[in-house]
Amino acid sequence: MTLQPEPVSGPTSLGRRLLVLLLAPLAVLLIAGLLFDYISSIGPVRGAFDRSLGDAALVVAAYLRPGSLEKIPRELPPEVSATLRGTGDRALRLAVRDGAGRLLAGESNLPLPPAGFTARSTPNPAFADIRLAGEPARVAWYALALDSGPTTITVAESTRARDRPSREFLAVTMLVDILQLLAILLLVILGVRRGLKPLLALRDQLAARSASELESLDEHSVPAEVRTLVASLNALFARMRATAESQQKFVADAAHQMRTPLAGMQAQLELLERDPQAAPVRDRIHAVGEGLRRLAHTAHQLLTLARAESAATLERDFRAVDLRQLIEQTVTAQLDRALAKSIDLGADAEPATATGIDWLLREMLNNLTDNALNYTPSGGTVTLRCGTIAGAAFLEVEDNGPGIEATERPLITERFRRAAGAAGVGTGLGLAIVSDIARVHGARLSIDTGAGGRGTLARIEFPARKDRGA
Amino acid sequence: MRILIVEDDELVADALERGLAQAGFVVDHVGTAEQAEAALAADEFDLAVVDIGLPRTDGLSLVRRLRRSGSDVPVLIITARDALADRVDALDLGADDYMTKPFELPEVAARCRALIRRTRSATSAQLTIGAVALDLASRTVQLHGHALDVTRREWSVLECLALDTGRVVRKERLLRAIAGWDEELTPNAVEVYVSRLRAKLGDAVAIHTVRGLGYRLDDPAA
Repeated sequence: MTLQPEPVSGPTSLGRRLLVLLLAPLAVLLIAGLLFDYISSIGPVRGAFDRSLGDAALVVAAYLRPGSLEKIPRELPPEVSATLRGTGDRALRLAVRDGAGRLLAGESNLPLPPAGFTARSTPNPAFADIRLAGEPARVAWYALALDSGPTTITVAESTRARDRPSREFLAVTMLVDILQLLAILLLVILGVRRGLKPLLALRDQLAARSASELESLDEHSVPAEVRTLVASLNALFARMRATAESQQKFVADAAHQMRTPLAGMQAQLELLERDPQAAPVRDRIHAVGEGLRRLAHTAHQLLTLARAESAATLERDFRAVDLRQLIEQTVTAQLDRALAKSIDLGADAEPATATGIDWLLREMLNNLTDNALNYTPSGGTVTLRCGTIAGAAFLEVEDNGPGIEATERPLITERFRRAAGAAGVGTGLGLAIVSDIARVHGARLSIDTGAGGRGTLARIEFPARKDRGA
Repeated sequence: MRILIVEDDELVADALERGLAQAGFVVDHVGTAEQAEAALAADEFDLAVVDIGLPRTDGLSLVRRLRRSGSDVPVLIITARDALADRVDALDLGADDYMTKPFELPEVAARCRALIRRTRSATSAQLTIGAVALDLASRTVQLHGHALDVTRREWSVLECLALDTGRVVRKERLLRAIAGWDEELTPNAVEVYVSRLRAKLGDAVAIHTVRGLGYRLDDPAA
């Protein structure tokens, strides 16, 4: 058996689904109730009006005495009509006819009773809906056997009068029903909202965590229906953590396994180059040494990239990092290179603290400084800067070298890409590492022209630090 | 100056041995922590260069054991790992300096020399950097064997820089060294004394300005 996926129209929301599934049948049910109320209430109202119409016919019948037909007034006596009228506009129309249908008294335009209607017919009085002068009306016929022969009394009234009370009744019922409907809608909406609250809380909790946060969710605070889902998520998080950790370990081991032989070979070549016996081949040894240095550098850069990625998934390693100290370490580490190239390497460090992984930030600053030293000619200046603006720390490396073309700037953070006309050794990974590490820290990397339109200004802007309970 | 190299990788150990020997050190080499403990107990060494990744007992454990047993031989840790935690661990455990592989031999030699010098200055009053000799007890300087006339403040600056040869010394620290309790000096004063020292010492040692940070005195032999 295959499960057919339900057709999805637009984004499905559990809340909306519940509302639709609950509200649609509820609305139908309430409307049906309304109709039932109307229909069941209209019958008794009609009956009551018919009874009073029939009573009018009976009252008239009481006036009909043998031989007095000629004396029947065109209108009923005031006291009779008053009782009949009851309410103001129930104008009753009256006709009295003999067995042959001749009008004995009253109005001639009232309809004749059905054929064969006699005093023994049931029901008596009989009723019917008619139209009188173009208006809907109700008529009652009452047959009686007088000494003068069979006689029928016809009483009619406009239905407008009787429609009003039923309309009023209907209006009141409808109003109550609609209020009830609204109250139920409100209750359903509130209920669904409230019922989904733990689910929405879970959603917010998930939305608030960064992509690299892999801590487990609390399985006990969620509804039973999604507990399995949360448990699966937690299992997934745990697996990702384990993967990240084993990758970190693998990369660290790989680094270890590669660096030791590289260090040995590099140091041996250094010695060989100095050896007087090697004088005839010194240039070739030097070239091999340079190649080895490049290989070691690339291996280091690649391992850094790999570690940056797995470190990003282990956010709990994030700590407060003093950027001033970072700059001091970097300047100290790069000073010899700068002195050898006669570059004035300096610092301009204001108090600044970023949240991050210390060694990654050190790699980042080191790469930026490396680049600046590589691209700045002898006699140039490279300055490492840090500070805090509105609670957000920044790092800058500025040089007064040839700078980077504006069109090249968006491309240079790609892996293995080197700036046009780049000289010297370089893996083309430096800025890719910088941009990766910046991304891991939620920081923004921008590359601009230095002061006075000269050189390059690389700037890392960290997000404002939230105080982590410190 | 006698150095013990504790490194299990033959290629690296051989290069270190030769490189440091060429730099003027007397060098011995062992491949395990156990051998290192035995060697350090049997002989006097001025410095141990220890690799973290040793077989069985690793380098960090070796440093811990040495310090526990009361040995104060300076230790330069060399490692193929570059995680900060290792560095912090190493220094916390009592190692004196830390380098990552791959390394440049001249830098290893310079670090060794600086470590030995620092340890010796703690026990002896003599401090020699190239052609400059400082007598920490009498607060006098000799240049090429001749007494050099320096003021009290020039001496303080030179002493500070010389005790941390090869390292950047913060300007604030130099300022504290020359200013008495009740004296108000501007950072410019430090610049004045440094430039006077440069004039007096000539080419014998180099005092580099590290813009925004401080100064670094370099041993010309490094």
